[in-house]
This record gives sequence, structure tokens and C-alpha cells, in this order.
Amino acid sequence: MSDALLEVEDLRVAFAVGGREIRAVDGIGYTVEPGRTLAIIGESGSGKTVGCRAIMGLLPTGTAISGSARLRGTEMIGLSDSELRKHRGQDMAMVFQDPARSLNPTMRVGVQVTEAIQTHRKVSKKEAYDQAVELLRLVRIPVPDRRFHEYPHQLSGGMRQRIMIAMALACRPKLLIADEATTALDVTTQAQIMELMLELQQELDMGLILISHDLGLAASYADDVVVMYAGKIVEQAPAKTLFGTGGTVKMRYTRALLDAIPHLERPAHTQLPVVSGRPPDPANLPPGCSFAPRCPSAADDCRQTMPALVEHAAGHRWACWHPCENGVHA
Amino acid sequence: MAAQLPNVQLATPAPPPLPSLVNARRLRNQRLSRALRLWVPAGILIFILALCFLWPLVYKLPSPTNGNILYNNEPPFSPGHLLGTNVQGVDEFSDIVYGGQVSFEISVAVTLIGIAIGCTLGVTAGYLGGWLDAVISRIFDILIAFPALVLALVISVGLGPSEPHLILALSVFGIPTLGRVSRAITLSLRSLPFMTAARLAGTSRWRVIVRHILPNIMPVIVTFSLLGIGIIIILEGALDFLGYGIQAPEASWGNMIAAGQQIMTAQPEFIIIPSIALLITVVSLNMLGDALRERWGVV
Amino acid sequence: MALVQQIQLQSGGPGARLMGARRVTGSPALRMVGRRLLAAIPVLIGVTFLTFAVMSILPNDTARTILGLNASPSAVAALNHTLGLDQPFWVQYWHWLDNAVHGNLGTSLEGLSVSHELATRVPTTLLLLAYALVVSTLLAIIMATLAARRPNGIMDRISLAVSMLSLSIAPYAFALLLIIVFSVKLGWFPVLSGPVTGVGSFFRNLTLPAASIGAGLFAIYTRILRADLVDQMTREDYIVTAKAKGVEPWRVLIKHALRNSSYTLITVIGLNLGALVGAAAIIETIFQVQGIGNDLLTGVSDHDLPLIEGITLVFALITVLGNLLADLAYAVLDPRIRYGSSTS
Repeated sequence: MSDALLEVEDLRVAFAVGGREIRAVDGIGYTVEPGRTLAIIGESGSGKTVGCRAIMGLLPTGTAISGSARLRGTEMIGLSDSELRKHRGQDMAMVFQDPARSLNPTMRVGVQVTEAIQTHRKVSKKEAYDQAVELLRLVRIPVPDRRFHEYPHQLSGGMRQRIMIAMALACRPKLLIADEATTALDVTTQAQIMELMLELQQELDMGLILISHDLGLAASYADDVVVMYAGKIVEQAPAKTLFGTGGTVKMRYTRALLDAIPHLERPAHTQLPVVSGRPPDPANLPPGCSFAPRCPSAADDCRQTMPALVEHAAGHRWACWHPCENGVHA
Repeated sequence: MAAQLPNVQLATPAPPPLPSLVNARRLRNQRLSRALRLWVPAGILIFILALCFLWPLVYKLPSPTNGNILYNNEPPFSPGHLLGTNVQGVDEFSDIVYGGQVSFEISVAVTLIGIAIGCTLGVTAGYLGGWLDAVISRIFDILIAFPALVLALVISVGLGPSEPHLILALSVFGIPTLGRVSRAITLSLRSLPFMTAARLAGTSRWRVIVRHILPNIMPVIVTFSLLGIGIIIILEGALDFLGYGIQAPEASWGNMIAAGQQIMTAQPEFIIIPSIALLITVVSLNMLGDALRERWGVV
Repeated sequence: MALVQQIQLQSGGPGARLMGARRVTGSPALRMVGRRLLAAIPVLIGVTFLTFAVMSILPNDTARTILGLNASPSAVAALNHTLGLDQPFWVQYWHWLDNAVHGNLGTSLEGLSVSHELATRVPTTLLLLAYALVVSTLLAIIMATLAARRPNGIMDRISLAVSMLSLSIAPYAFALLLIIVFSVKLGWFPVLSGPVTGVGSFFRNLTLPAASIGAGLFAIYTRILRADLVDQMTREDYIVTAKAKGVEPWRVLIKHALRNSSYTLITVIGLNLGALVGAAAIIETIFQVQGIGNDLLTGVSDHDLPLIEGITLVFALITVLGNLLADLAYAVLDPRIRYGSSTS
């Protein structure tokens, strides 16, 4: 526990919108170790992105953040922006969802990479150039010295994402957060980028956080999984505990997410079990369990009291009054 | 079998309060300042309009054209002359009031003509497209390529300076400006799904224009027009200033400034007073336009 | 043409050499320039024709003005015939156009060659316009950047107030106020403009006129640039990326947001050139700057058709070319347009 890379405890984030307070993240906690991959899974609006952006300090001013997030022992929450800036890009880095919009369209991609380098290191322009080309090579971009001078719109989606990764890794951060990094890409490219990130993780001994709505991604690539719903963690376990043979998923929600993944083995024309309803309005959360309105086995105690996240089994936490038994609906 | 862990909480305790976010006072201040930005300029404008058009009906003001030379150069706050009198004995205050009447009459008339003709042409061009659009846009382009001043000047000099002629001259500037804006919005609206839906539903073209396009154009046109009135007041003042608009001794702010130019070294107040009147009016118009833009969410 | 050389130079630059940017003949920028130039011609013709038409239709009595009120009708008729004023205006226009294309802009009523008159006075007007444009753009960039750094902060509120005032004041009133303060009371500048012979006289004579014109421009540019900057900083994803890299806020604002907002600014500058030209005429009169704006006003009152036509042509040219240059700058500077789409 002591040489954990990132320790998050009771993180809360709230916004003021139209005079009301919206709790985007309501008390989450997890740990990331170097060399391991954590997947944070949830629907849009579950707070998965907001939590990580809060740690990085990328939320707009006027957001209330409380709790603790210690990166290698140093507390990130509560730091001023100028202090956080020293860590951003250097100790922790982020790769974003849509590389077409996340890259400056009027700046050459190579320069955007050297900017990442020169923000934290005092190196000459030539050295920065060399390092950048090396980084481009690292992310498997062919002919890196030529690509350096191109503009984002001249590259394909997969290449742009590689540039984003190169920028993120410029100063060899210990923690890499991939916020829906592959969502905007086609399936083949998705696999390539994921493989790339995992290889780099091993090479650089980084901790990797994968934020996604795709449970399948978590199943394939993650070591630990955190499932979020309406700002809270509802299930938390190592991936092996949840997926594959012998896996036990306790939360209805997680179960539903798993069931919604199409499988080739299913007989043709079977209806895809879809979670009915919509994610709750964060300004109007129901009392009791947030998932109750959509849960097939919701009972009265579910609707009245919010279950706490408790480690009911070794390494496996969930927050449910009536969890699934043996992977089957109760 | 679940391992027994100490201190098992089964229900989540009430969440602790976050550092104060929803600052009620700040919110109130924001709303207050937004309201002020709308109503203060509106109030000033209403006051000025009332002063220029209603006050002379209530209180007999000295003539702005024929001054009593015996009482010239009276300082401000003299009895009967709130702002003093000028070189020819004309009362400054009534000069301002009647000058204001002219400015508003002309600028509002020009704007209304611009809306009536310009918007009609613009919406037609935008909605119907094709060669009609090409012709109308080309006409707008030519009129706009004209420095506003030149054409207005030529017309006013040619026809002879008078209020209706000025209105005509300035309309040549007003119509294409409003026309281009209407056309642009119509074009952007036309591609929206709800327009296609209306057409598919068989709504007649006329109904589409009246019920869908016009309501959406209104906010932009109103805010633009407010800014436009300000611009036209300044432009009209420019023509008066040059001597090609309202001729002295008729009252107009531009005239007053031109007259003041003669004696600006010795008595700068004769420039300053009408300039301030102009400034306050145009600032109020611009602020009102901005505030409405903010409230209606116009780009 | 200098333009072509510039494009070629761009194509030969280090980035382009490596990337193999389009050759000049196929350059979309050059094609667009050509298209716009062609489109500009009907506009120029339209403007000059319209001026001719309006001036001819409106009641005027040029010959009598020249000869004096007591001239005999036959003398007036003879002069009308000599000047070609008894022909229908479209015929007159055609003659003018025909001459103009050959470089002959005719003679003004005072007997001076219009081309000569323009040639001597256009540079002064251009200098004045350039002065106003450059200074107001620079100040606007500075003010907008300071304002956008902290939206709704002090600088932002000041910039909004200042630009609101600048926008609302009439240029001629402002000019006179400037004269009162800076020429009469402080004596820093002359009341009337003398000729511009060198750097010193340039600043001494043209500063107040340029300030009068530039105030309104400064206001428009500041407002639009500030709005765009704030938009970029709050809504664009690439700004978040830059922040995530740890780039410090000023650099994010200037190297990322400002760079992208400048395209909007260029367009706005181009679009507002028409208004610029009109204001210049009045200001020139007030300060007695020896430019074409001044000439225009005397020409209109004298009903000096050739002179007015020539000046209108120049004004329209400035407007049209200005727009064109703005579009061109956009095409050349914006890499999304310059370097087409993906090569991979």
C-alpha cells in the first residue's frame, strides 16, 4: 500500500449550475500501483471523467473539490494551479478522447510534442526536436522526422492518437490516464492503440488508468476494475474476480453491462439485454440507491437507503442490498 | 462466505458538505448586474426620448432656430436657459432637444425602412435561393462596397438637404446591411432539420416564413437594429456636420458640433455638450443591444 | 506579382519542402485569389456605374456652375456639349469606363488631371488608414488578451467599458475633442495637418487623425477578439490538452488560443475596411489632411463628376482589395487550408 502510485480517498467534486449544487463525484476511492492497469467503467454522467480531471486539476475554476488524491505520496487536491502544473505532464499525464479536437489544428504535431518536453525540461530546441522524434518512433509512427512537421488534419485518427500518447509520455510520467482514448477510433485501430499503451506501460513501468464505458475493454486489458454509477463507486474488484470463468459479478449494474456486450456465441436474433431507463439527473438523485429506478430486482430497502460500498469478499467491494448470486439474477 | 470485517457500515452516511460553492450572494449580484445592464440603458433611452418628444409639449422651450442676440453667451444655469445660450443667443438646451428629435426621427425611420425592405429582400434571397439570391446578393454587395458616406452625400447634395432626403440617402446604407444579416440567418435556418420537417409536412412557403423563420430572425434583427440606430445617428450627424444634412439654423447635433468647431479654442463647451448628448444616446443604444443579445442568446 | 512570389516562398519553406505542398499552379489559394478578383470586377463596375447614375439623375447644373449664374443659355448648352453632358448618362459612363480602362481617368472640373490628383493624394490617405489600422489592431490584441486571461476580472471589465465608449463616440466629435485636449490645451500636435515629409511629420500630423479613425476600429476588434479568445479557452479540447501538458496559462492563451483566434480577427479587419474609408473622408476634412477623402467632399459639392468617379473607384478598390487580402491571408496562414487534407 505504501508504494502505491496513486491513492484516492473520499474524492468529491461538485459544480454549481443555475444556483444548484451538482455532485458529479460523491466519495470515491481507489488505488493504482505502478505497472498495473485500473479500468474505471461507467455511463456518461457517472463521474468517471470528472474524477480524474479533478486529480489533474483540469476542471474549470469554481468547482468544489474535496478529499484526497496522493500521487506518490504527494497530495494533489488543494494544490494551487501553479503547483499542479509542475506535476501535470511530468508525473501524471492524460490522453483524451477525440484527437481531432484535442490537438491544436494550427500547430505542427511535432511542435506540440516538443512543447510537452520543453515545458518541464530545460533543453535546447535541437535536443527537444531529437527527443520528440524519438517519442514519435516510440509510439510507432513511421518516418517520424517527416511526420514531425505535419499538421493534425493531415494525419489519420490512429496516428493522431499516437501523437497524443507521445505528448503524454514526453516526460516519462509515472501515471497515464487514458480518458476514452479509443472511443473515437475504429475497432482495428482501437486494438492497436490499446496494445501500444500496454507495451509502453510495461516499458516505462507506469500506472495506467483506463476510463471507458466499455466493459469489454476492461475485461481484456485491466488488472483492476472500478464501476461507477451516478458519482459513486458501485463495484470494485480485480478483473479476474469479475470476468471470465469463475468470475462473480455482484452488482446488477455491472451484470447488466456485461450482459449487454454482444457475444458471437449467442444464438442469432436474440434480443440484446439492454439496461432500461436513463442515467439519473445528477441534480435530482433519488433517495436510496441511485440505480434502483432501473434495477430489475429493486426492493423497498433499495429505494429508501443508499447502500455503502463495503468489502464483502476479499478484494471485492460492492454497494448493493440484493447483489447477484453466482452471476445470476436473484 | 463473506469475511467478517470490523466496522461494517451497511448504509452510506449523509455526505459531508463541500466547500461553499453555491454562493447565493454572488448569484444575486450576477442577476442584479444583468438586470441593471438591461434596464439602465433602457431607462436612459426612454428618458432621452421623453425629453426630446414629450417635454416640449409640456413646457414651452425657446426656439432653437431664432435666438435673441441680446442674450447670447449666457452661461449654463442662467435663468430660463439650463445649458446657457450660444453665440447667436440660441438656447443650448432646446437646441439639444430639437436636435435629438431630428436624430431619432431620421434614424428610426431609416431602420424601419431597412427592416421592411432589407429583411424582406434578405429572407427572400436566403429562402428561395437560385438566381434571385444571386441578383439580390450582388446588389447588396455593391451597395455595401460603397463607403456609406459617399452615396448618402451624393444623394443628399443632389436632392437638396432635408429630412426626407436624408432618410432616403441613409436608407441606401441601412437596407443592404440588414438585408445581408437576414439572408445569412435565413440560410443557416434553412438547413436545420425542423425546416425540412415543415416542408415535408406540406406547409406552404408563406407559412414557413411567417411561423418559422421570422420568429427566429426577430432577436437578431432587433439587437442589430438597436446598434444600427446608433450608427445611423452618428452617420446622420456626420452629414449635418459637413453641412450637407440638416442645414443651420435648423437644430441638429451635428450642426451644433460644426458650429462649435469655429470657436472651440475659446469655448469648447459648445462642442462638448452636443458630443455628450450623442455619446450618451449611442452608448445607451449599444448597451441595450448588448444586453438584449445576452438575454436572448443571440450570437 | 508579389503575391505569387510569396506563395512560392511558402512552398519552398522547410516544412513545405518536406511535405511537398501543392505546387503554385494548383494551389487552392491562388485559384481563390483569381476567382475573387474576377468577382470583384462586376462590383467595381457596379459601384462606379451607380455613382454615375445617381449623380446624373439628381438635379445638377454643372455647366452653369462653371460659367456662373449669369451665363447665357447658349454658352451653357455649348459647354454641356463640349463636356459631353448632354448625352444620356449611360453613354457618358461608357466613355468614362473606356477611358478608365486605358488609364485615363479624365480631367476634373478644375482642369486638373484626375489621375495626377489621385496619385499625389492617395498615398497620404493610405498612410493614414494604415496607421489607424496597425495601431488599433495591436492595441486590440493586447487589450483582448489581457481581458481574456481572466474573464469577468478587472481587466475584462475595463476592456468592455473602454471598448463600449470607443464604439459609441462619433469619430468627428472625438476628433474635435482630441484637438481641444492635445492641440489647443497641450500643444502636442498641430491643429491642422501639414504634409507628411518624413517620420517626424508623419507622427506629428497623422496621429490625431489616425486616433480618431482608430478608436472605433479598436473597439470592434477588441470585442470580437476577446469573445473569440474566451470561447476558445472555455470550449475547445485542444486547450485542455495544452493545460494537461502543464503549459502555463499565458502561453496557452497566446500560443494556442490567440493563434486560432487571429483568423477571425483577420476576417473582421477585412470586412470593416469599407467603414474605415468613409470615416477617413470626414476626418481628413477636419484635420485638412491632403488626402483623397478631402477631395471627395469638395468634389461632391462642386458636382465634379470625373473627380468623384475616380475617388469612388479608389475607395471601392480599397474595400474590395482589403476583403480579398483578408481572405488570402486566411488561406495562406491557416494550415488547414494551405496544406489540404491528409497525405497518409
